Amino acid sequence: MSGLASTAPVEVEEPIVDGRVTTDKPWIVVVWNDPVNLMAYVVLVLQKLFGYSREKATRLMLAVHHEGKAVVAEGSREKCEADVARLHAHGLWATMEHPS
Amino acid sequence: MKFVGSPDGGAICTFEGAEVEVLRQVPDLLRSRYLPDSPEALDRVDPVRDRLFPRAYLDPTEDRAEDDWRAAVHPEILRDRLDGLDRLVAGLDGGEAKGRRWRVTLGPADVDVWIQVLNDARLTLGTLLGVTDESDFTRIDPADPQAAEQAVYAWLSGLQGALVETMLATLPLDGTDD
Repeated sequence: MSGLASTAPVEVEEPIVDGRVTTDKPWIVVVWNDPVNLMAYVVLVLQKLFGYSREKATRLMLAVHHEGKAVVAEGSREKCEADVARLHAHGLWATMEHPS
Repeated sequence: MKFVGSPDGGAICTFEGAEVEVLRQVPDLLRSRYLPDSPEALDRVDPVRDRLFPRAYLDPTEDRAEDDWRAAVHPEILRDRLDGLDRLVAGLDGGEAKGRRWRVTLGPADVDVWIQVLNDARLTLGTLLGVTDESDFTRIDPADPQAAEQAVYAWLSGLQGALVETMLATLPLDGTDD
């Protein structure tokens, strides 16, 4: 959260495309726990693919391990499709979804 | 196996003869999963193939996007995986005899490739063995009909773990966190 002075909230109308309301909510990429991938390997992949720090990659790995899944990336549909492909190529069990 | 990692991410592995044989069987194990030999095999439910090539879209109503995504990305993923098998074999072939052992010297790029191939081998064996978080193959019951596969899985895990630690040591601790 930035330390800038807050301004009054502004209501933003959601755009309507083809009769459907679209939102700016990003797609998310979820990595799921699996019993095979080594914990250190998951940290390695998250650092290598996303450039995360050791600390963040370890935190995400532990969330996957203990909570069953973790959101590891977000963005446009196209970006998430590419991220999931890279994760699958590295043997991680990843899916993408659009939070409603 | 004797393993010595180097600071640049390379490694020198000195394998026993039986260990070399285990590694030489990995390409056959994986190639049949990467490339099923018939259309019927492609249609058959295969938990290993599902694990190696999982679905991307969680939402089952996104089947069309899923099909488009698969058509776009799977050829490249498959090509890279097959290339990895060739590079594993090339790495083994490039080794040298040290008495009755076989010494293989891997550069950092080789280590990266071997880690991926070993991971796919472990995903395949782990799925076939029904590995869970509670599985413990540090003490294998020789009477278990799957004892041989469990031993191979455990050994591949040890080798992959050593390679991962070597590569992790070359990555910076800080990153581009949001």
